[in-house]
Amino acid sequence: MSALDPLEAALGTRPVPGTPRPFTFPAVEQGRLPGGLPVRFIHLPGRPLVTASLTLPMGAVDEPAAVGGVAVLAARSLTEGTRRRDALALVEAAERLGASLRAEAGWDATVVGVEVPAERLAPALELLAEVVREPAFPPREVERLRDQRLNDLLQAKADPARRAEEAYLATIYDPASPYARPAGGLHDTVAGIDAGVVGTAYESWAGFERAALVIGGDLAGIDLWAILERLLGDLAPAPEAAARPAPTDAGRLDRPVVRVVHRPGSVQSELRVGHRGLPRRTPDFHAVAVMSAILGGLFNSRLNMKLREEKGYTYGAGAGFDLRRHAGPFTARAAVNTDATAPALADLVAELRRMRDAAPSDAELRAARDYLVGVFPLRFETPGPVVAAVTGIVTYELPDDELERYRPAIEAVTADDVLAAARAHLDLERLGIVLVGDADAVAADVEALGLGDLEVVREEEGAGLGD
Amino acid sequence: MPVQVVPFTDERLPNGLRLVISEDHLVPVVAVNVWYDVGSKHEQPGRTGFAHLFEHVMFQGSRHVAKAEHIALVQAAGGTFNGTTWLDRTNYFETMPSHQLELALWLEADRLATLLDALSQENLDNQRAVVKNEKRVNYDNQPYGTWQEKLWGHLYPPDHPYHHPTIGSMEDLDAASLEDVGAFFRTWYAPNNAVLSIVGDVDPARARAWVEQYFGPIPANPAIPPFAVDPLPMTLGGERRETVEDRVPLTRIYAAYRAPAIRDERLYALEIAAQVLAGGKGSRLHRRLVREGRIAQDVAIFLLPLASGPSVFIGWATVRPDATREAVEAAFLEEIARLAAEDVTEDELLRAKALIETDELGSLQRVSERADRLSMYATLLDEPDEINRQLDRYLAVTAADVRAACAALLVEHNRVVLTYVPASGAATEGAEDAADEENDGPGGPLEDGMTEAQA
Repeated sequence: MSALDPLEAALGTRPVPGTPRPFTFPAVEQGRLPGGLPVRFIHLPGRPLVTASLTLPMGAVDEPAAVGGVAVLAARSLTEGTRRRDALALVEAAERLGASLRAEAGWDATVVGVEVPAERLAPALELLAEVVREPAFPPREVERLRDQRLNDLLQAKADPARRAEEAYLATIYDPASPYARPAGGLHDTVAGIDAGVVGTAYESWAGFERAALVIGGDLAGIDLWAILERLLGDLAPAPEAAARPAPTDAGRLDRPVVRVVHRPGSVQSELRVGHRGLPRRTPDFHAVAVMSAILGGLFNSRLNMKLREEKGYTYGAGAGFDLRRHAGPFTARAAVNTDATAPALADLVAELRRMRDAAPSDAELRAARDYLVGVFPLRFETPGPVVAAVTGIVTYELPDDELERYRPAIEAVTADDVLAAARAHLDLERLGIVLVGDADAVAADVEALGLGDLEVVREEEGAGLGD
Repeated sequence: MPVQVVPFTDERLPNGLRLVISEDHLVPVVAVNVWYDVGSKHEQPGRTGFAHLFEHVMFQGSRHVAKAEHIALVQAAGGTFNGTTWLDRTNYFETMPSHQLELALWLEADRLATLLDALSQENLDNQRAVVKNEKRVNYDNQPYGTWQEKLWGHLYPPDHPYHHPTIGSMEDLDAASLEDVGAFFRTWYAPNNAVLSIVGDVDPARARAWVEQYFGPIPANPAIPPFAVDPLPMTLGGERRETVEDRVPLTRIYAAYRAPAIRDERLYALEIAAQVLAGGKGSRLHRRLVREGRIAQDVAIFLLPLASGPSVFIGWATVRPDATREAVEAAFLEEIARLAAEDVTEDELLRAKALIETDELGSLQRVSERADRLSMYATLLDEPDEINRQLDRYLAVTAADVRAACAALLVEHNRVVLTYVPASGAATEGAEDAADEENDGPGGPLEDGMTEAQA
């Protein structure tokens, strides 16, 4: 590599970054329709595909345990027909507008949304208002969606990743917690749901308490206030109750346990390791974000570097907190080849421990902070994610400046903050360790690691995991 | 609502690198995207899966970049990245805050110029193990996971470059050597076999200067082997059927047909046909099998356009436990056949086009997608401006075009019917419908798509 080497001359010096062009989160215009429904508009010039989301902050966490999955089914049933038209007429009307009309429930909210070219926003909003205000919940369609969910649960038993998630939740959460099951529910909670149950559930949300409508895109020349006043102006949300009843989000474990779900002949083991985690509204949110990035969020996270780039045990290892209205799970995960199962699990748990043992290096801290801060404008390139972020502020009752505060707050996280977050929120004494793999091939080696009491679950793939 | 025109410049460096630049200053973000005209179709016998394994090696460092450093630098700059391999090509891309454009260009140039300086047996063995786990997680350990391998095997004869899937075989991955990596790199990874697209918040003059500085000195390969395949007949010439016992709870029926290669206008008609058949809850198959007949759990139809031989038109229907395989197969194939017998309605055509238009609008919002399409059209069609012509091609399709294309191609003698049924007894090595992408990687990067193997 002499100095005369033209490649060396061209490439030998690393470029330094230019001056960042400032990026601020787009301005949010706030108001209320005459009846009281809060609205938030984000005008994004040059973005002709508009996203509108009406959020009803009732989700799977709010539903009775006996009908777990009803929120998800109720949301899907919203677009299955209204008092004015049946499901096919509704979907065809949306398709003629080139609009995708969707309703989905998650843990914390139900979002009815539409994505449509700006010039057809008004008729698309009409459909949105219609499904929200006049759903018919036709029994035949509700039952079909229920049966599809039951069949989907059958399919999940054959998918090692989904099977691992299901077993993991049942392992770490108190059986009385909604978080012990998937948001879509389990066979026994879904099987009894019908149109009546769905209708009752929806009635309980349709007071529109805490509801809000968020619209983002190129809104120039659209008289949104006039359109919305016509469609939703008379909608009067019920007064907000002081507090919603809080379901339990308690963990189940008082010591580490290891559950091996036997999958004969499995060429990999799906690993899930962790415990009850944190709610979204957590005071050290930004330190947790940086800590998670270092542990299992970045490509070069400790887990991925160890299990993938050093050992080759997996295609990818990661970890993170699923932050919900209440304490969702913290999960570390990887799918590893069967003969690497025990050593991979040992490495994974060792990385969790190391996170608590000492503060991260300056380089690790900087890499994580720089990534989270730097990627911020990329996350909000298009209306969909902008609307989703503003909707999240409503769902989690966060301050209006939450997104503006994000980057400076991440910048301010120190190595000691990260260590404190790890010590406060990673709990090696209550780890749930679940793996779906060939128990005959891996259980003895896993037990020898001494990570906790080991139980092997042997069952038909068609059967449910007892919980 | 016109889809906005994507303006761009199209030029070549003296070493043959094709450079496409498109400005868009809405957001301070820029996409860098490189397509190399090499894919799994270029693999030698006994070396299946190699193009994709090689793509992983491209993230293992080069003369000025240590192992794992490429990704570390991109992420610390606030960027996202990936690489993917497919039958026809390999691509690498970053989306960066716009003031970090030069870093992305330098990283791409350094690995193209000096990859072999950093190559080691240790890194190759490590990525071989990673790729084998990628194959396990996305194919071998997944229900229905062998469908691509099976369908490709029926649609193309054994000596055809599309006969084997991009992920390759475990045996061939084991056989890949350092010498193979070196030879592959020297043959295919040359500026005159690449298209570099830069899209977003970019000053074209500065970007051009950086490209000239970093890529300019990289020598061309004057001897890139020509790629030629004996053309296959447009249709299979007879129906093929296979039934596979797998560890699946529900029976699933796949149907696949040969379709024309890219550049053939009938692909646009077939795309409309796919939309009419299964493009949403208003589609024919969803309506008949899922909503009304209640015999299928789900249905799907999609088209995979290919450059060097017949494309593939694929569909599937998953049989509900209370229905029979025969009833689903009959209704599924009958709906496909009906497209050849009678015109789609004007309303179906209008709805399909409206959805495609929205889809185009949504895709082209993102600088990363625009960059990938510019690279794609430059590489495969020698015409990046196709990015601005696609929508018109869809909108020009008539009901008669759809019927003619379906009548010629969606016929019994051009069909593979592959059926997965629940295994009766002992455990088998499972496999997947990788379309339900399960991303177990950290934060998304480096995953394996449905049919393209990614970094």
